Amino acid sequence: MVRRSLRSRSLRKIRVKTPGGRVVIQFKRRKPKAAHCAKCGAALMGVPRARPTGMMNLAKTKKRPERPYGGVLCSSCSRLLFKEKAKSLG
Amino acid sequence: MFEVGRICIKLAGRDAGRECVIVDVLDDRYVLIDGNVRRRKCNVLHLEPTKMTIEIKKNASHDDVASKFKENNMGVWQTKARTVAEKPVKIRGTVKAAAQEDKPKKEKRADKKTVKEAVVVQEKKEAKAEKPKAKKVAKPEEKKEESDKKTTKKASKKE
Repeated sequence: MVRRSLRSRSLRKIRVKTPGGRVVIQFKRRKPKAAHCAKCGAALMGVPRARPTGMMNLAKTKKRPERPYGGVLCSSCSRLLFKEKAKSLG
Repeated sequence: MFEVGRICIKLAGRDAGRECVIVDVLDDRYVLIDGNVRRRKCNVLHLEPTKMTIEIKKNASHDDVASKFKENNMGVWQTKARTVAEKPVKIRGTVKAAAQEDKPKKEKRADKKTVKEAVVVQEKKEAKAEKPKAKKVAKPEEKKEESDKKTTKKASKKE
């Protein structure tokens, strides 16, 4: 029987072939879901799906787009904000 | 709408949300922009025009545009001059030598003592100076006596 802590559905089972030739089941954590736009809820581009330890090792530029509101709003929502700014400037 | 001197807001890219001025119209799709953004070609679809215009000549230089922008209290984008730093050259034995130099040298205890203590120290020194003189005077006499005694003993033994 598998030990009780490994019976959780939040783990995934992976078949691994060992150097000795045996096929063994290993338990891995699942990836988190993609980040979503704070305004419209669309899936954001340019934000990797990684666990905290994975994100920690990435460079800052690899975690979000180089744009104002990058990683927070989708491109179309941020464009609406900039258009409003243009209207208020005139 | 998109003519030379029109102030627009850039919608896309890393300069998004910043004011720019159209410096030159290249064709019906592309324009040359400058101001609070990097000086470059831009698609008209990525610009939102405002009601503001400024007076600049076609193909105005960055400095002219910057001065006009400052008059209207708008920020200007300045590209940083690219400075290539010298590659640090490692020389054997320099790291240790530098570390020893950096170590603070131990201060002499005399500097830290107060005046009173300094006086006491001086008195002690004077007392010490007197003592060995007295000893020195006594010692050679004693030594002579001892040597005499020894010789006499030896002489007596021989006999």
